[in-house]
Amino acid sequence: MPQPDAARTPAPGRSGRSSTSTGLGRVLVATYAVFALAATARSLVQLLTKASEAPLAYTLSALAAVVYVLATLGLAEVGPRPRTMAWAAVGFELVGVLTVGTLTVLDPELFPDATVWSAYGQGYGYLPLVLPFLGIAWLVHTRPRD
Amino acid sequence: MVIDPLQTVLIVASLVLALVTGVYVALDRSPDRVLVALLALLEAGLVVQAVVGIGQLIGGSGDPGITFVGYLLAVLVILPLGLLWSLGERSRGATAVLIVALLTVAFLVLRLEQIHAAA
Repeated sequence: MPQPDAARTPAPGRSGRSSTSTGLGRVLVATYAVFALAATARSLVQLLTKASEAPLAYTLSALAAVVYVLATLGLAEVGPRPRTMAWAAVGFELVGVLTVGTLTVLDPELFPDATVWSAYGQGYGYLPLVLPFLGIAWLVHTRPRD
Repeated sequence: MVIDPLQTVLIVASLVLALVTGVYVALDRSPDRVLVALLALLEAGLVVQAVVGIGQLIGGSGDPGITFVGYLLAVLVILPLGLLWSLGERSRGATAVLIVALLTVAFLVLRLEQIHAAA
């Protein structure tokens, strides 16, 4: 039978469990950070050097970059409501990679230049497709329990 | 191309160090001085690559441009940031962060070589 007092104060193990940035979470944050860096750099180069060539693809690249940055910060527990931010970013990422992936496979001409999510992230070893699933699994695994 | 042998060495060194770090993770050992020193050595190699690469650009052999310089500089921040994030905690996951960083370095140097070859 749990004591009423024990229910109010979470045990150290349980509060540790609800952190998204410790243990395996550190690897996930590092991986997201790599994609945040890659997508931001790619987007900056595209926007600075040839913004008019493929506005849609480049806007999408910039959007992907923002999503990866927010997911990294959320999972690293930076900011006021990191878990909410991580959920939103990772959810958007999943929708993004599935939508853009499907569209680019059906019609390769749709986006004249590649984005991180083109063909389900083929250019990045399909990691962009795997990452949101890992992110969601990790957020579920570390969810705070009341 | 002068820097090709250096890039091959850097890629092999990154992959070997990733394997070594994998052994650390398997044994549940935190990064020690030896591992950090090896990472510093690799970072020094990356700095040499950046200096040589930018030097070649100024020397005027081809124009790979902003992407090439971007890769040369971006690859420099990976190991310091990865080490910082890795040392923030003592756990297998934290040590494994270095594997992510090292594989990223190997991948970036490989891409650098491709960009250079294409130019």
